[in-house]
Amino acid sequence: ANDVSMIKSAHIGVGISGQEGLQAVLASDYSFAQFRYLQRLLLVHGRWSYFRMCKFLGYFFYKNFAFTLVHFWFGFFCGFSAQTVYDQWFITLFNIVYTSLPVLAMGIFDQDVSDQNSMDYPQLYEPGQLNLLFNKRQFFICMAHGIYTSLALFFIPYGAFYNVAGEDGQHIADYQSFAVTMATSLVIVVSVQIALDTSYWTVINHVFIWGSIATYFSILFTMHSNGIFGIFPNQFPFVGNVRHSLTQKCIWLVILLTTVASVVPVVIVRFLKMNLCPTLSDQIRQRQKAQKKARPLRSRRPQTRRSSSRRSGYAFAHQEGYGELITSGKNMRAKNPPLTSGLEKTLYNSTSWIENFCKKTTDTVSCFSQDKTVKL
Amino acid sequence: MAMNYNAKDEVDGGPQCPPGGTAKNRRPDNTAFKQQRLPAWQPILTAGTVLPTFFIIGLIFIPIGIGIFVTSNNIREIEIDYTGTDPSSPCNKCLSPNATPCYCTINFTLEQSFEGNVFMYYGLSNFYQNHRRYVKSRDDSQLNGDSSALLNPSKECEPYRRNEDKPIAPCGAIANSMFNDTLELFLVGNESYPTPIPLKKKGIAWWTDKNVKFRNPSGGESLKERFKGTTKPVNWVKPVYMLDSEPDNNGFINEDFIVWMRTAALPTFRKLYRLIERKSDLHPTLPAGRYYLNITYNYPVHSFDGRKRMILSTISWMGGKNPFLGIAYIAIGSISFLLGVVLLVINHKYRNSSNTADITI
Repeated sequence: ANDVSMIKSAHIGVGISGQEGLQAVLASDYSFAQFRYLQRLLLVHGRWSYFRMCKFLGYFFYKNFAFTLVHFWFGFFCGFSAQTVYDQWFITLFNIVYTSLPVLAMGIFDQDVSDQNSMDYPQLYEPGQLNLLFNKRQFFICMAHGIYTSLALFFIPYGAFYNVAGEDGQHIADYQSFAVTMATSLVIVVSVQIALDTSYWTVINHVFIWGSIATYFSILFTMHSNGIFGIFPNQFPFVGNVRHSLTQKCIWLVILLTTVASVVPVVIVRFLKMNLCPTLSDQIRQRQKAQKKARPLRSRRPQTRRSSSRRSGYAFAHQEGYGELITSGKNMRAKNPPLTSGLEKTLYNSTSWIENFCKKTTDTVSCFSQDKTVKL
Repeated sequence: MAMNYNAKDEVDGGPQCPPGGTAKNRRPDNTAFKQQRLPAWQPILTAGTVLPTFFIIGLIFIPIGIGIFVTSNNIREIEIDYTGTDPSSPCNKCLSPNATPCYCTINFTLEQSFEGNVFMYYGLSNFYQNHRRYVKSRDDSQLNGDSSALLNPSKECEPYRRNEDKPIAPCGAIANSMFNDTLELFLVGNESYPTPIPLKKKGIAWWTDKNVKFRNPSGGESLKERFKGTTKPVNWVKPVYMLDSEPDNNGFINEDFIVWMRTAALPTFRKLYRLIERKSDLHPTLPAGRYYLNITYNYPVHSFDGRKRMILSTISWMGGKNPFLGIAYIAIGSISFLLGVVLLVINHKYRNSSNTADITI
């Protein structure tokens, strides 16, 4: 009962549900049954949560700076009348439909290193303690990146549309084509940026990212179609625009150039940082990748060191032998282990078998369960 | 003892059950989704992916840039500024005309002949068609032929909504400021009198604009009847149903009107005025030589420091003359290639230190 005030005043209160009652559990943010789960809570889930949150925030600020500052540059060329560069519908749907799902998927599923490695290298927890991943400096970097992207997004189409005509000689530098070009390049640039930011691509990430781009184009074609103009002429004045502008080659060349110009600096900076001064997280990721290549695809075998320690146990047989044990198959094959927790399970299986064995014999089985930290 | 070992005595894998034995198991499902074990692709920026990418970008962009630049340079274009601010210009007298309309003539020479289809544009500078209050000052349902909007235009058109107690058709500031200069082109040939160049006025607007977005109001037989009860915009000379004698280019679907209503994005723009179709493959459309331009100078731009130009231009697969895109592609392609080389050098120099698999904390 005296723990409740302590739990409430902490940043994160953790309670253990057990014999002493449920008061701590009811007052806490997280609760579990055994004290040893705290390690996993902090080193795996807490760290991932901090990592995801910082990435999410950084990307969100960048995206909105890139989206909004274009209007600031356009102000110089429209008499500072606050004319928007984009279509009204695009402004409404941009943050809700076109770009919300990919960043949500990144914020839920992203992992930099696997949970096993998070537990093996507790030093990875340091960036969270030192507030390294999102502080004032990181915020200004996001802002600068957004400003640079908005400059590329505005001035490259500006130069391409200055006093020109289209492929068929007709008007191409009109306000609506300009808006469509800029909106399309914006959606593609921020989607490529989220694709660069996501470091753990599950199926859901793929669906959300490519699906958002597909949604953008389908909504665009719908809003510029004849049918919807017939119903609401004043709300959808962009009729025919997509059919005219997105079939011109020079518009697609502009979009490609804008995307490359916005993304190349990011790739360079990240590549240099990763190769010249890699953080611990980067090093572990590289090692993970190398291990994945080297390891055979089926990773359901138990690790060799366990069987070797077991093998060293065989040498001490004064008793009848382990024939029954071996043929029962318990130490060869774990019971349906899942991918990453297979290691714990097989160890636990063998530990339980060992404990049973310890109960029956007087031999002291050497503690090959002690060279690993406690598994949850 | 091994003989005492009983295979059935295995404890169930997993953490201990609560001592009650029958308490509800609150473990979350051991699925890949809930345990965050979904199969995933984890890309890393390695030298093997980044460096070839930069080189490929450089190798693709530089030829594209060169192609665009060469194409743009081959486009023939001539711009004639006829605002008349210069006192020696023939159109200077039209800046403050004593009698409207004012006519002036500008002579110019084509050094090279223009082949293929030639497009005649009028260009304006310092004209902010992208000002917010200007852009919204229109009524799209009225322009689509909606009869209720014809007699009751939207509030966005203020102050160009009603005049002399009648609704204005077409309403709004965009329609009111329509460009109304007339340009005619003559070739000074070998004969004594110059030959006029035939200028085609159909086919200058977007197809969807002319056939979907802009429709004349339905109603009586003649166009004048259909616009009964409305009045012309304040700055127009003729009402909208007298813009052209041909019925499919009159009223709201007049192509010059449609081209003007498609507001430009930037303060310096050009709009298609007329087409000069090519005659045959043997003769150039506009042979080199002396020409003169007859201008009916109606449109005043001098008061806000604007400029008016007439532009004759041919067209290529990427549009009109625009060196910016070619130069930008060449620049970004070469920067990318250069960065690829620089990164290769840096990577080579520091390769030894980053190649070890040790984790240095």
